[in-house]
Amino acid sequence: MKPAPFEYFCPDSLDEAVVLLAGRAAEAKLLAGGQSLVPLLNFRLLQPAALIDINRLSELAFLAEDRGGLRIGALTRHHALETSPAVAALFPVLSEAMAHVAHLAVRNRGTIGGSLAHADPAAELPMVATLLDAEIRTRSAAGPHTHDARDFFTGPLSTVLADDEIVTEVFLPALPPRTGSAFAEFSLRRGDFAIAAVAATVTVADGRITAARLAVAGADERPLRLDEVEASLAGQCFDADLVETAARLAGESVNPFTDLRASADYRRHLVAVLARRVLTEAHARIAVGAA
Amino acid sequence: MADPDVLRPKHIGARVRRVEDPRLLTGQGAFADDRIVPGALHIAFRRSDHAHALISGIDTAAAAAMPGVFAVYTAADLEGLVEPLRATSRMRNYHATPLYPLARGRVRHVGEPVVAVLAEDRYRAEDALDGIAIDYAPLAAVSDPRAALGADAPVLHEEAGTNVLAEREFSRGDIAAELAAAPIRVGGSFRFHRKAPTAIENRACIAEYDRGRRLLTLTSSTQIPGVIRDALADLLDMPGHSVRVVAADVGGGFGGKASLYPEEILVAVLARRLGRAVRWTGDRLEDLATTSHGFDEIIDAELALDRDGTMLALSAEVIGDVGAYSIYPWTAALEPVQVVSFMPGPYRVPTYRGRVRAVATNKAPTGPYRGVGRPIATFVMERLVDMAARRLSLDPAELRRRNLVRPEEFPYRVASGIVWDRSGFGECLERACAAIDYPKLRTDQGKARAAGRLCGVGIASYAELTGIGSRISAAPGMPINTGTETATIRLDSTGAVTGNFGIASHGQGLETTLAQVIADELGARLADIQILQGDSALVAHGTGTYASRSAVLAGGAAVSAARLLKERIIRAASHLLEAAVEDIDAADGRVFVSGTDRSLSFREIARAVYTEIGRLPRDAREELEVTKVYDPFFGTATAATHIAALEIDPQTCKVRLDRYVVAEDCGRVINPMIVDGQVHGAVAQGIGAALTEEIVYDEAGQLLTASLVDYVIPAASEVPPIETIHLDTESPSTLGGFRGMGEGGTIGAPAAVANALADALAPLGAEIFELPMTPERLFRLITEATAQARGD
Repeated sequence: MKPAPFEYFCPDSLDEAVVLLAGRAAEAKLLAGGQSLVPLLNFRLLQPAALIDINRLSELAFLAEDRGGLRIGALTRHHALETSPAVAALFPVLSEAMAHVAHLAVRNRGTIGGSLAHADPAAELPMVATLLDAEIRTRSAAGPHTHDARDFFTGPLSTVLADDEIVTEVFLPALPPRTGSAFAEFSLRRGDFAIAAVAATVTVADGRITAARLAVAGADERPLRLDEVEASLAGQCFDADLVETAARLAGESVNPFTDLRASADYRRHLVAVLARRVLTEAHARIAVGAA
Repeated sequence: MADPDVLRPKHIGARVRRVEDPRLLTGQGAFADDRIVPGALHIAFRRSDHAHALISGIDTAAAAAMPGVFAVYTAADLEGLVEPLRATSRMRNYHATPLYPLARGRVRHVGEPVVAVLAEDRYRAEDALDGIAIDYAPLAAVSDPRAALGADAPVLHEEAGTNVLAEREFSRGDIAAELAAAPIRVGGSFRFHRKAPTAIENRACIAEYDRGRRLLTLTSSTQIPGVIRDALADLLDMPGHSVRVVAADVGGGFGGKASLYPEEILVAVLARRLGRAVRWTGDRLEDLATTSHGFDEIIDAELALDRDGTMLALSAEVIGDVGAYSIYPWTAALEPVQVVSFMPGPYRVPTYRGRVRAVATNKAPTGPYRGVGRPIATFVMERLVDMAARRLSLDPAELRRRNLVRPEEFPYRVASGIVWDRSGFGECLERACAAIDYPKLRTDQGKARAAGRLCGVGIASYAELTGIGSRISAAPGMPINTGTETATIRLDSTGAVTGNFGIASHGQGLETTLAQVIADELGARLADIQILQGDSALVAHGTGTYASRSAVLAGGAAVSAARLLKERIIRAASHLLEAAVEDIDAADGRVFVSGTDRSLSFREIARAVYTEIGRLPRDAREELEVTKVYDPFFGTATAATHIAALEIDPQTCKVRLDRYVVAEDCGRVINPMIVDGQVHGAVAQGIGAALTEEIVYDEAGQLLTASLVDYVIPAASEVPPIETIHLDTESPSTLGGFRGMGEGGTIGAPAAVANALADALAPLGAEIFELPMTPERLFRLITEATAQARGD
């Protein structure tokens, strides 16, 4: 279980990294935290000719508040997100999700840019980015680009990123006032990939839901937003029946796969159960926040 | 008179810190892969990706030409260098299978080694694997053991003529008549799925050949250095003093390292052939695919009882899926036969019939895994007991109470022939119930159940045979003696004490516990004692550590040798101190004359005996080195009761273990901290077996669980706090009073968890017949039970 030979580069700046990647695009891989890439290399499932190690690009490791939202540098480690007071204050659903990302040793190394670019359909960060309508900002030789998280993930381990594009930061736009959020995950062990994970935000005004967002991981080939469910909640008064109907709809609107760990039926069932829980919890948290 | 406080054992029974831990916890351990030998060649294997195929051609030319590659070997290159290995047995209806270091003309399971690349490092060796072309002619593969019994099933070993590699039946009384007449009968078809041992250290070995001394040294991550030494001496036709097998520090084994593997034979053969060190360090993929699996059985069982709950008869028909080969030295019969020989458990079961067939399939071979057979037997028997209790509307603890062998009934002969010596069967049940406050647990459960929660309590009582002596083979009919153990204890010229043993500690803390035994028996200081083990050169005959034998056998040998050595030390002291032998005793590394202040240290006595010639009369200078062989002959019973309390989330089907109590009788407890640790680790493995761990092959024999992402072992977050109660009685059958306890946790836990799950699901009318009960299986069970309750 040793990787095939590769050339190794370790640029000191983003500009240098962009140039290096532009020259080798198709045969190179970026190495950030390495928590997904290195096992793939060791299994020889990936045999890139070159690795470009971006761990020296300290310019990509930052957290900054911006217009009530957050700019998160691509090299920000999971542990930094998990423990950031700014994240906890502005996007508690992200803090909540981070505790489910693998184990502390992995969270000390893993990065947000790496997780988004790797695009595991059962991973927490791509799903939370999708939930929060994140903007994923990148650089390539052609210049900067911005992708909507909702359009970023195209399938298992695949994204719209071009071969020469580097994720530089993620922008999470501010949540509206009187918004509650919640995250729930089912995995075989604490820290494992989700068999199903669901997260929600619920915004209310004048006793009615003005907007609700529901995102799912582990139950499809990519993280999903459940538009139909969200639409069914908008404008309604929150009650148990409404949540029950929405949860059932959530289960019906995903198209999960069967694998060793769980059948499609079980995943669909879990999506419904977890949707009920996060919608209820998200709504309950508004009242607390508004008090 | 000597001070009675000084004579009282001080080390046995104490929570002595493990002497190996400073070494192991600060990175100073020396594992097989840590052994640095300049110029060693690294092996990478091209392993079969077919479950069953003929090898029609192998082209290694391109690989051999790759940079850094020294040589490429196939089975053809080994002809004449090594004989095939066969696990023989005197058992009737048994077929041994030849085992070659590299597949010879045919592969029988995915992962079987076919080609070995030797290169300057493992990277280069793996690079070259792609340069090997193997032409396979696929054969029909059989993965389901029931299908392997069919008349049209592919036969794995034509010389056997059948896939049934072993068959055995135990019978007492007229089972058909007893079942027919019994008022209460419970039963079903049970399934325990395949499990992997998953030691934290993968298998690894390095062989070195000293041409000048003609000495072959194999350093291997193994539990059985003595068995391997003897086997290699035979296979390579070398005298035993020219073959040394060293199990240095070993990072866990759980039975998976208790067999001789093709990789170990190959590195030894090639090192001798090439005169260079040859090493192989398995990775996790190789470990999951090739380290012997365990626990793969189908059991049709039925228990008959009287209306008052008295057990009348038990029948079990077992199919054991043993994989592609009969493993050395234990044979394919090891686990399946133990399933039926231990099935009646600690209960009075007058009439019994148990039949087992060990069936070959195109999967990795099975071998010993912590508990061997008894976890499966206990799962089935304890499920039957709980099913019977429900049928009789009796509390499960009460039904056990009525049927456990009573104190006055020992020694009790089990229908399969096993004899239980006096052991705390009933006491373990009562102590476990008391520790967990069983009545309150049931009251709380009743309230939770009334609130719609799925809470369950599960009991498992079992007995096992440990410290097995020479009367019985550890595996049926096996021609290797595992029933004796040797200790050589010496007081050297500096006053230091060394104990040499044939065992091979791989995490059990035997360097500590054996030092405790010697310290008390000899009157030595713990700090002055060093235990050497895990090296075939230490004693004339040794096998290793497995089958819960080492504390009993090595402990007994230590007691015996230390007592004799102490007599000699005291005789020397009687000359030096001019006192009668009866007036002298030893403690804390000193001998002293009762009622006086005259004493000598061990060091002073050693100098007088070895160095200061003239201080002792010539004929009083006895050797201060004693070798004793201990044979407990039959062995001794170890018993325990486990109680688990858990809750199932009826929506997600998540299982949460809330309480776990073990009350066990492992005889005289040498070190309660080490016993606790053994119980905790073994219970964790039993919980894994009950809830998550499963090696999965598809119908074509492809391995689907080839990483620790898919093979799910429990982590600390899935294991509840475990409370242990030690009865701390002395076994009447062993020297020192010790009983073996390394495997027990894994024997009791699957059954306790299974019974707790069934108890939790009782309101839905669901039963547990299959382990592991993964969330997916639980989801199906709950969905079906709910649908049936609704009358769908």
